[in-house]
Amino acid sequence: MSLFAWLRPSPPRLDEQLRQRVQQLTAPAPLAEHSLRQQRWVVLDLETSGLNLNRDHVLSIGAVVIEDGAIDFRQQFERTLHQRDHKLTSSVLIHGLGPSAIAAGCDPAQALLELMDFIGDSPLLAFHAPFDQRMLSRALKDHLGYRLQHPFFDVAELAPLLNPQITLREAGLDDWTAYFNLEAAERHNASADALVTAELALILFSQARRQQLDSPALLDQQLHRLRRRRQQSHGF
Amino acid sequence: MLMSKMDAFAQAGKSAVMQNIQGTMQFLQRFPPFNQMENAHLAFLVEQCQLRFYAANDSIIKPADGPVEHFYIVKQGRVVGERQHVTRPGTETTFEITSGECFPLAALLGERATRTEHLAGEDTFCLQLNKAAFIRLFTLSEAFRDFALRGVSSLLDQVNQQVQRRAVETLGNQYSLNTRLGELAMRHPVVCDPATPLREAVRLMHEQQVGSIVIVDEQRFPIGIFTLRDLRQVVADASADFAQPINRHMTASPFYLSPQASAFDAAIAMTERHIAHVCLVEERRLCGVVSERDLFSLQRVDLVHLARTIRHASRVENLVSLRGEISQLVERMLAHGASSTQITQIITLLNDHTVCRVIELAIEDKGDPGVPFSWLCFGSEGRREQTLHTDQDNGIIFEARDAAHAAEIRGRLLPLAQHINQGLAQCGFSLCKGNIMAGNPELCLSRAEWARRFAAFIREATPENLLASSIYFDLRVVWGDEQACEQLRQSILEQVADNRLFQRMMADNALRQRPPVGRFREFVLTRQGNDKAATLDLKVQGLTPFVDGARLLALANGIGANNTLERLRQLVAREVIDPLDGAAYEEAYHFIQQTRMQQHQLQSRQNLPYSNRVDPDSLNHLDRRILRESLRQAQRLQSSLALRYQL
Repeated sequence: MSLFAWLRPSPPRLDEQLRQRVQQLTAPAPLAEHSLRQQRWVVLDLETSGLNLNRDHVLSIGAVVIEDGAIDFRQQFERTLHQRDHKLTSSVLIHGLGPSAIAAGCDPAQALLELMDFIGDSPLLAFHAPFDQRMLSRALKDHLGYRLQHPFFDVAELAPLLNPQITLREAGLDDWTAYFNLEAAERHNASADALVTAELALILFSQARRQQLDSPALLDQQLHRLRRRRQQSHGF
Repeated sequence: MLMSKMDAFAQAGKSAVMQNIQGTMQFLQRFPPFNQMENAHLAFLVEQCQLRFYAANDSIIKPADGPVEHFYIVKQGRVVGERQHVTRPGTETTFEITSGECFPLAALLGERATRTEHLAGEDTFCLQLNKAAFIRLFTLSEAFRDFALRGVSSLLDQVNQQVQRRAVETLGNQYSLNTRLGELAMRHPVVCDPATPLREAVRLMHEQQVGSIVIVDEQRFPIGIFTLRDLRQVVADASADFAQPINRHMTASPFYLSPQASAFDAAIAMTERHIAHVCLVEERRLCGVVSERDLFSLQRVDLVHLARTIRHASRVENLVSLRGEISQLVERMLAHGASSTQITQIITLLNDHTVCRVIELAIEDKGDPGVPFSWLCFGSEGRREQTLHTDQDNGIIFEARDAAHAAEIRGRLLPLAQHINQGLAQCGFSLCKGNIMAGNPELCLSRAEWARRFAAFIREATPENLLASSIYFDLRVVWGDEQACEQLRQSILEQVADNRLFQRMMADNALRQRPPVGRFREFVLTRQGNDKAATLDLKVQGLTPFVDGARLLALANGIGANNTLERLRQLVAREVIDPLDGAAYEEAYHFIQQTRMQQHQLQSRQNLPYSNRVDPDSLNHLDRRILRESLRQAQRLQSSLALRYQL
C-alpha cells in the first residue's frame, strides 16, 4: 500500500462480471489516414447537473453514429443515469430532467459500460468537446475505474477552421445550427443535441473534403496548427 | 435482486422509442404519406434510415449508378432532376423535390437505374432507406404502398402507368363514373325471340319487374329492344293488337357497348342518343342491359334526364332555369370523383344541347330563313373544354355562289343570328366582349369568305392575326351540316404545314405565357390589385401553355382534332411527341383543369365571381406539390417548342 493511497479516491468496487467486461473494452484506434467517409465516428452529448467539472455529474447521455458518411439511425445511444442523491439545481431548467426521471434512470456503471461498448474504437465528436471529455472521463473513472483515451474532436473548433470567412465570436451550437439552417427537434436533450451536432459534422466533413482535409489524421493536424497559431497570436 | 433491477433499467432504456427517432417521426408526420401511416410502421422506417448530407450540386443518384438501391426522403433542402437533352448538349431541370418529398419511386419499383440525375439544388439532408427495408415497409404499410404506387408520375416511367391504373382500381368505389358496366348490370337481362307475341313479352317484363326486354336472335345477339316507353306508344295506339309478334313494335338494332366500357361511356351514349337503355354485348352475345336508372342509383347524376329536358324545352326561359341544374350536376360529379375531362365533356355536351335548342327555338320564333347554314363555335367551346364559366365564341357558315349572293344570304341570317346570341346570353353564355358572335356580319360568312379570311391569318402573321388564329382555328360545328367546316379545316392544315414562318410565330406566341415556377422558389406569384395573398392564374399561366403548344403542333402536323388532350394523344401516335412526355403533359393538364374547376365550384357556392387565380397556400400539401409539378411540365413543353423552332 502506497503512503498516499488514502489521498486517491478509492477505486470503485465492481462485481466480477462488470470488471471483466471493462477489461474487454476496445482500445481507441489511432487516427487513421483513410477518408472521413471510411471512419466510424461517435457523436456525443452529455447533459450534466451543472458546469463545474469537479463537482457536477452526468445526468444523461445521447450519442449517434456517423458511419459510411451518414448518420445511422440504427445505431443510437440514449441513457438517463440514476443518481442516488441527486440534488435539484437550477440546471433542471435547461435539460428538463426532473428528479423522477433521474430516479428512474439506469445504473450509471452499467450505462457507461454500454456506452463504451457502443463507442468501440471510434473517435468522438462533440460540441465544446473538452467539457464532455472531462465530464465523461471523470464519470468513467468514478464508476468503472476506466481511463478514457479516445480522441475527441471539437465541432466548435472544426466549424471556424473550415469556415474562416465567418466571424461568429464564441459561437455556440445554436449559432452554428442557425448559420447552416439546421432544424433542431428539441434542444438541450442529449440525443437531440447529439443529432444536430452530427448534422453539423456532416456539413463540416463535406467542407473538409473540398479543402483537401479528407482524413481524420489530416483534420487533427490542421486543428493542432490552428491552436498553435492562435497561441502565438495571443502572445504566449 | 440487484441484477434483475439493473436489467429492468437497461430494458427501460432500450424499449422506449429513442428521442431522435421520435423527433424524425414528428417531422415526417407533417407530410403525406407519413401522416397516414401507423406509428409502428413509421418508427420502423425511421429506425432503418441513414441521414445523409449533400452540398449544393452534389450528385445524389445518377443513371450510371445502375439499379437504384435506396429510397430517399428530403429532410431539408432541395433536390433537382437534371435530364440530358437528347438532341443537344446540356441538361434541363425536369423536377424539384423539397422537404418531406421522396424519390426515386419509379426506378425503385421498376428495379432499374434512374433516368434522371438527382442533384442537390442547395445544401440538402436526405433520409436514406435501403431497398430491403423499403420493400419490407411496402408490404407492411398500406398507406405507404398506396402512396408509392400512386405518387409515381407517368413522366417517370411507363411501368408506373399500369401501376397507377391499378391504384385507381383499388380506389374503386369513389370513382363511380369509372365503374365497369359489367359490374353494374347485375341482373340477367330479360330476353325473347322476335316471334314472341307482344302480350307474352309484356308479361315477362311485368313478372321480372324490368323496364325493357331485349329481342335476340338464335346466337343471342340483340336485334331489338322494347321498353316501357314503347309500350306506352302501343297502348296509345287504339288499333294495337297484342297478339302481334314483338318485332313489329321493337326498336331495331339497339345501341350496345362492351361490358368493359365505363358507366361514363354509357351516360354519354344515353345523353347523345336520347336512349334510356344500353345493351352489353361480349363476343356478339348479349350479356346485360344497363338502364338510366342503374346509372342514377349509382351516381345520383341525372345527366340523361337533364339532356332530354334541354332538348325538349319549349321556351328559352325553361333553358335558363336548367342552367342551375347543370351547375349542381357538375358539383355532384366533382364530389363523386369525376375527372376534369369527364366534366368538361359533359358540360360541352349539355352546352351543345342548349345551343341547338336555342337555335331551334329561334327558328320557330323568327321563321325559317330558308337557307341552309351551320352554327360554328370557336375557342374553348370549339375544343370541348368548357367550364361553367363560358363566353360566347360563335359564327355562321353557309354556301354561296359569289359575293353578292353571300351578302344577300347574310342579310337574311343576321337577324336570326342576333336573336340566337341574345337567347344564349339569357341562358348564361355571356356575350363575347370581342364581339366574336354570329350576329356580327364579320362572323356570318360563306365558306369562300371564311377561307379567304383564314388564309390571310396564315399569310400575314401580325399579332392580331396570331391571336385570331388561336381562337378561330379551334372551330367546330355545333348545329347543322359539318362538311363545309371540315373543308375549311383541311385547307387550314395544308396551309399551316406549308408555312414554317407562321408556325414559328405561333411558337413564339405560345411561349409568351410562362408557367409560374421558379428555379429557386416553389411558385412565382403576383399580387393583383388589393389582394391579400399573391396568386397565380391557373388558366392563363397553367392551361394556356398546353393549349397553345398542342394547337401549334397539331396544326403543323396535319392533325384535325380540336381537343387539347386528343391533340396530344394523336401527336404521340404520330411520334411528334415522346409517349412519356405526352402522358406527363396529359396528366399535368388534367390536374390544373381539375384544380380550376374545384375552385370555380367553390366560388359558385360562396357567391363569388368566377376567378382562375389561386393562392397555392390555400391548397393542401399534396395538391400544391402536384400543381408545381404540373406547371413544370408546361415549362418543359415550352422548352421543347423553343428547341423545335429555335427560339
